[in-house]
Amino acid sequence: MIQLVDIHKTFVVKDKKSRSKKRIEAVKGLTFTVQPGEIYGLLGPNGAGKSTTLRMIAGLMKPDQGELRICGLDGLAEPERSRAQIGYLSTDLNVYGRFTPRELLRIFGEFQGLEAGIAERRGMHLLEKLDLHDFADVRMEGFSSGQKQKVSIARALLHDPRVVIFDEPTTGLDVLTAKTVLDMLRLLRSEGRTVIVSTHVMPMVEEICDRVGIIFDGLLHGDAAPAEILSKWNVKTLDEVFFQLAAQAAVEA
Amino acid sequence: MRGALLILKKEFLELSKDRKTIFFAFVMPLLLWPLIFSMILSLEKTDSKRREDKASRIWLVDPGRVITSRLQAEPKLFELVSQPSGDIRQAIKDQKLELFVEIPSDAQEKIARQETCSIKVLTDESESSSSLALKRLRKVVSTQEKDLVAARLQAIQAPPQLAEPMNIASTNVADMGLQMGKLLGSFLPYLLLIMMYSGSMQPGIYTTAGEKERGTLQCLLATRLPRNQIILGKLLYVFLMGVISAVLNLASMGFTFTKMVGAAMAQDAPVAATGHGMGMPAMSAVALGLSFLLMIPLGLLFANFIVFMGIQAKNTHEAGTALAPGIFVVVFLGIFSSAPGIEKMLWVPYVPVMNVSLAIRKLFSQQGDPVQYLVALGMTVLLAAVMTWISTRLLDRESAIFKQS
Repeated sequence: MIQLVDIHKTFVVKDKKSRSKKRIEAVKGLTFTVQPGEIYGLLGPNGAGKSTTLRMIAGLMKPDQGELRICGLDGLAEPERSRAQIGYLSTDLNVYGRFTPRELLRIFGEFQGLEAGIAERRGMHLLEKLDLHDFADVRMEGFSSGQKQKVSIARALLHDPRVVIFDEPTTGLDVLTAKTVLDMLRLLRSEGRTVIVSTHVMPMVEEICDRVGIIFDGLLHGDAAPAEILSKWNVKTLDEVFFQLAAQAAVEA
Repeated sequence: MRGALLILKKEFLELSKDRKTIFFAFVMPLLLWPLIFSMILSLEKTDSKRREDKASRIWLVDPGRVITSRLQAEPKLFELVSQPSGDIRQAIKDQKLELFVEIPSDAQEKIARQETCSIKVLTDESESSSSLALKRLRKVVSTQEKDLVAARLQAIQAPPQLAEPMNIASTNVADMGLQMGKLLGSFLPYLLLIMMYSGSMQPGIYTTAGEKERGTLQCLLATRLPRNQIILGKLLYVFLMGVISAVLNLASMGFTFTKMVGAAMAQDAPVAATGHGMGMPAMSAVALGLSFLLMIPLGLLFANFIVFMGIQAKNTHEAGTALAPGIFVVVFLGIFSSAPGIEKMLWVPYVPVMNVSLAIRKLFSQQGDPVQYLVALGMTVLLAAVMTWISTRLLDRESAIFKQS
């Protein structure tokens, strides 16, 4: 289970023109919970705060304020133990090009506390599920985006995490690879894992997410099942929710 | 520590996949020095033989035939040529001849009157062949001078000692090993520093800014490994690469120097070499061991600096730009430590890098000062420890991790 209570995150950036420092509040008091056996979709346009939120859950960033619990553990007080429960897939479609998938999975398995042999076996099993086992011993520098994403998914799931975080997992992928990724997400849900995905591909959300949270300008606008959101906003697609939020933001500005 | 060792394993595994880097980091140093030294020695030998075998071309103006017959008696050393066309100075510069020698027309009379006769010589000392010609001429003139002095002394029935009231009999107490040690110590320390720094730099950039640039650093940080272990693993890798690079270069250079340059020196000075042998092994074992002990904290200091700058940089280009000037700083401090009289300055043992360079130089010339050595070692260990403490906290800084190009 993932639990976020009043999470805040501010970045200090340098304004190149005025040479002064600016504080940008990227996340403004997020509170939501994701249950085991559930796929939670974190939606929002670019710069809304999705990746920052996921990075905080994955332990890559620390919130300035708030409470974060991962499978009952305090994510801030016990970062290493919390990270051990998480399988994180970042937006970067990059892998260690010099390694083969087998080598990468073996070494990352060791990083996650597995024995090299077990890590390799689990890795090969995951590659088979992702239909990439034929490329297990090929150096990854020439891999396509889809192949790299599959290896990254295997890497993220290698240590059998109870919480899975996928940050924009289908961006830049062809339909076949995207389908493989979605099938994997469904499988993870069926296995009782807590899954959270961020995306701005709305059809995907409607297809697989049990619940969605819409982030706009660092705030959570709605936390419910996709159908409930549509009904509450009186729209036909989730895209229209964004248009309305953008219009509201423009009026307020 | 297990996490750091796993990161180290990953870095070396990644390195093992890169044949080009392996060649340039590990194989090249082994080939480079023997190749460079053998080429230099071979060229020098060939050039020297060519010069020695060739008679020096001299335009001699000697109306009284004071030295003509002596020069003609050595056809392998001197070739008397006729007056060249054009300006004589230009002819010498153009290497059409090596010397112009002019003996005054009244030279014989002056000698007979027991006066000094001046010989005018035009030469181009920037050319080794002209210098050799002058050396040969000086030898001939010196022989003739000695004969004349002997004749004059005989004429007045004076003993030969009259013309030599004093003479110096010197004995060289330095064995070949010490001479070589001093020679090595004059350039080895700063070469070692450069090799260690440059040997660490590229792997350091690849494993820090490179990981950020390739987007793989986040994968590492998302694992259960503590962040200080990740940095420590990377530090160890960069440090080991620097040490390996320096040791390989040192071994290759030491072997080349001892075998090739040493043999050449022994040929030039067979007396010094006889009995003492090269003296290198005994000197090298201690000097090398103590130098290596100094290199460990220094290598760690360099690795810390490289990792620190690499992690702060947005990409490999920025890291390269930030780290390249470090080579000049290292070269400057290394060369400065070789400046004459620098060891007398009390503050030198407290200047990082320079104190190590100076201590290594002293070790090789068998003039090591234990206090100076310990201060250099202590200072470098302390600095390396402080830098390691700072570095291991680097990945806690989100601004460093997520700085994007």
